[in-house]
Amino acid sequence: MTALSGLPLVSIITFLPLVGAIVIAFTPSGRPNVARYTALAFALLTWVVSLGLLVSFVATNGDFQFVETQSWIPMFGIQYKVGVDGLSLVLVVLTTTLTWISILASFSPIQNRVKEYMISFLVLEVGMIGVFVAMDLFLFYIFWELVLVPMYLIIGIWGGRNRIYATIKFVLYTLVGSLLMLVAILATAFTYETVTGSWTGAFDMQALTAFAAQGNLAGTFGVVAFAAFALAFAIKVPMFPFHTWLPDAHVEAPTAGSVILAAVLLKLGGYGFIRLAVPLFPEAAQTWAPVIIVLSLVAIIYGAIVALVQPDLKKLVAYSSVSHMGFVTLGIFVFQQQGMQGAILQMVNHGLITGALFLLVGVIYERTHDRTIAKMGGLGAKTPVYAAAFGFFVFASVGLPGLSGFVGEFLVLVGTFTTSPAAAAVATFVMILAAGYLLWMFQRVAFGELSDFLKGIGDHLTDLRPVEALTLVPLGALVVVFGLFPGLILDLIAGSVTHALAAVQQAAPIALGLWR
Amino acid sequence: MSFSDIVTLAPFVAAVLVAAAIIVVDFIAPGRKVPALAVTFIGLALVAALTVVTGQTSSTAFNGAYVVDPLTTFLDMLFVAIVALTVAFAPDYLEQRTLPVAEFNAVLVFAMSGAMLLAGSADLLVLFLGLELMVLPGYVLAGYHKSDGFSTEGAIKYFLLGSFSSAIFLFGLAFVWGLTGTTRIEGVSQSLAAMAAGGAALSPGLGMGLAFLTTGVAFKIAAVPFHYWTPDAYQGSPTPVTGYLSVGPKVGAFALIIRLFAGALGPLAADWSIMFMVLAALTMTLGNLVALTQDNVKRMLAYSSIAHTGYMLVGFAAFAAGQIRGMEGLLYYMAAYTFMNLGAFGVVSALQKRPGITSNLSTFAGLIRREPKLALLLTLFLLSLTGIPPTAGFFGKFYVILAAVEAGQTSATGGWMTGLAILAVLNAAVAAFYYLRVVVYMFMRDQAGDVPVLRHGRLVWAGLAVTAAVTVVLGLFPNVLLDIVGKAAAAIG
Repeated sequence: MTALSGLPLVSIITFLPLVGAIVIAFTPSGRPNVARYTALAFALLTWVVSLGLLVSFVATNGDFQFVETQSWIPMFGIQYKVGVDGLSLVLVVLTTTLTWISILASFSPIQNRVKEYMISFLVLEVGMIGVFVAMDLFLFYIFWELVLVPMYLIIGIWGGRNRIYATIKFVLYTLVGSLLMLVAILATAFTYETVTGSWTGAFDMQALTAFAAQGNLAGTFGVVAFAAFALAFAIKVPMFPFHTWLPDAHVEAPTAGSVILAAVLLKLGGYGFIRLAVPLFPEAAQTWAPVIIVLSLVAIIYGAIVALVQPDLKKLVAYSSVSHMGFVTLGIFVFQQQGMQGAILQMVNHGLITGALFLLVGVIYERTHDRTIAKMGGLGAKTPVYAAAFGFFVFASVGLPGLSGFVGEFLVLVGTFTTSPAAAAVATFVMILAAGYLLWMFQRVAFGELSDFLKGIGDHLTDLRPVEALTLVPLGALVVVFGLFPGLILDLIAGSVTHALAAVQQAAPIALGLWR
Repeated sequence: MSFSDIVTLAPFVAAVLVAAAIIVVDFIAPGRKVPALAVTFIGLALVAALTVVTGQTSSTAFNGAYVVDPLTTFLDMLFVAIVALTVAFAPDYLEQRTLPVAEFNAVLVFAMSGAMLLAGSADLLVLFLGLELMVLPGYVLAGYHKSDGFSTEGAIKYFLLGSFSSAIFLFGLAFVWGLTGTTRIEGVSQSLAAMAAGGAALSPGLGMGLAFLTTGVAFKIAAVPFHYWTPDAYQGSPTPVTGYLSVGPKVGAFALIIRLFAGALGPLAADWSIMFMVLAALTMTLGNLVALTQDNVKRMLAYSSIAHTGYMLVGFAAFAAGQIRGMEGLLYYMAAYTFMNLGAFGVVSALQKRPGITSNLSTFAGLIRREPKLALLLTLFLLSLTGIPPTAGFFGKFYVILAAVEAGQTSATGGWMTGLAILAVLNAAVAAFYYLRVVVYMFMRDQAGDVPVLRHGRLVWAGLAVTAAVTVVLGLFPNVLLDIVGKAAAAIG
């Protein structure tokens, strides 16, 4: 540990954006640039501190580091307890990175109510980081819900034509899941209190995980409580058939909203599965695993097929998200080292690649105010840099070896193959479909003659501006780096994965006799 | 009657004197608002101080007809807060309609004295006396805007159904008295415990009594299906009064339920707990479903207040199923609800300051541009009413649902209580839809036409600041209230 270890680094990272939001609230309202640069400054600062955390993190085991504990509501044993392990850390850094990129990408598209927008974005960052670092279920839940409000505003105020429908759908879906999860959280905490005779630790994730490892949360209770947790996370991921809010939210959200939604918000679900649902209910997780694996496969296939026929660029990317996130849940629920590592890698990759794709769609939309694939064509000649960048991320998304998208999916497939070859075969087949819809889309957009519609745009159709390039370059660089050296992430998360899987391997599945 | 009786009863006596003083001041300086307000606030501060002082030790007065215990103190303080906030929000609104402020304050403080009597009653007759003293001024307030037809209509409905339910309630009390031979709550409880210990089935008379009492209190708290008076009475009343009616008499009626059912009828809990479970389920579900379809924010808040009654009843049902935490949750929820709901109504009445402005959703369109502070405050209150953390409303729901889940795992009627907990959270999701609709209007739609920006008095801002601060503090640092609530619940459990 370095000199940084004396500071409450995790809390600083979590609440620095909140400080930024408060500062922005006091800036004069007629000066949007002040709000923009203040927001960017705080996002960058948060990013830098999170990198400091990354550097001082010791990646030797799966234990939590930088843990801060503060008594909060002692009556129920609720604590303010935060800390990071490898998994949290990776996702925190993903969040801080994507946040400043999103804020930078909002500079030109967001022209009205800039102040409120930047405040919402920074508060959103607080919620997202908070979810990843919370080590107390109560705190986790608070951050989980905190994410909802700013995202609701971002889609609802700065979104497209159907924004209000989309944002309410987003909130209601998420809320139903999370409220049922709240009941399950309370039931779990109460079970802990009943068995141990004390509330101390009833909301502490580590204490609860240890408690669960003794088989205390097994049986019918576990099956039901797991279902409640899993529903909340499945809606966030989103898993088929709970995905229907996603295309609406993505299409209506402003570009940066889509970026952060795809890059980070969806990861909250995957994180929840690995951090909570599986370790707390290892028995029930195995009971439910076949269902989740089947649903993951359905999501992978269905997302790809629906993406194939989308006429709208953004919707296509949104459905490709459903398909790609299917790999995440698949990888988690095969309960196998490579599978789960692949799932986490896939979360990061999806964040980088799909985030970039949404940025690129946003770039073309800002110039043409249209996203219909049929109206595009010939961008390769007119805007070569843009087309090249687009092509790069399309190939990354397809899973071209050497880029990061490949490694995640490959690991998931390897993991799946050892437990269920049939599922692996189906998923592999879909990778061909993915190549189909993505490359076909790229061909229609970039190749051929410049379309009449784009000709009509005339001189407005400029190539990538430096600022836009600045948002894409870091993402592209990371895609290459993680593609060549996936070990950078795998070493960090190995301990967390081992911990999560140890819980499952010790526990016997609950035999319900429903699906045998 | 001895001197110590008066000392025990000091807060109540002080409340009555304050009300009288306001009237006297109004005689001396007719129509002047500042002296009346000054006397009201100083008087309320005095009552609060006396409540705290007398609440230091538990005591009884008048041979055990009135009791001061932590529960009484907690409820009394809540009533003082309710009245003080209503008095802060009202003058702006009343003055514009040339309605007298001083009388309003006096009537309100009289209502408060009734609620305080109710909160500390240890005798069925005192209980009824307090109840009537609390609700009668409510009828006056509902019809306070004499020249407004809707106000009068609402007041008449409120009065008719209110007196009707009082009669039913009194009838139920008569049964209980007839079968137990005493009006002391302690005595009733002992007598019923003896009957219950005998293992005999509930006698028909007692069954009738229970049915009447439940119906009576269900009217008072506006539980479904006894809620029909609420929307009209709430929508017709002047908005600050609506805020008061949705909180004051409701908290009072819950005090009545606690004293009567948890106290006097406690031994029969097995017989009446199921009724409260059914009432809770119906009330929150129907209140929410009907609130969904409202285009008028005041009416929407009226229905949503019905739904909140349902959540509170979940806590009470958990208590009835043997969980003391259910009572704690109920009390916490009452406190949280008081501040967030009064805050929401405070904003609505501030917006309706000028006569002729409706409380339709369209009034709220583009509010963030027009009056950003009010829009943000209302958003906070609505999020709290929805139950989004970190607000008081969230912790209230957390507490109540925790109690229901506990009861679900421990009590005989367990499955039902767990079901009730799940129903409660699903209802919270439904409620999110209509609360957020207001937010949609405020943030995401543009106002139609030119709406003038209104100036609001300092008292309104002070009231809003207090409600907002408490809403946030009770959400982030529930500790401040947990001890108090725990002691208050222990007094009855």
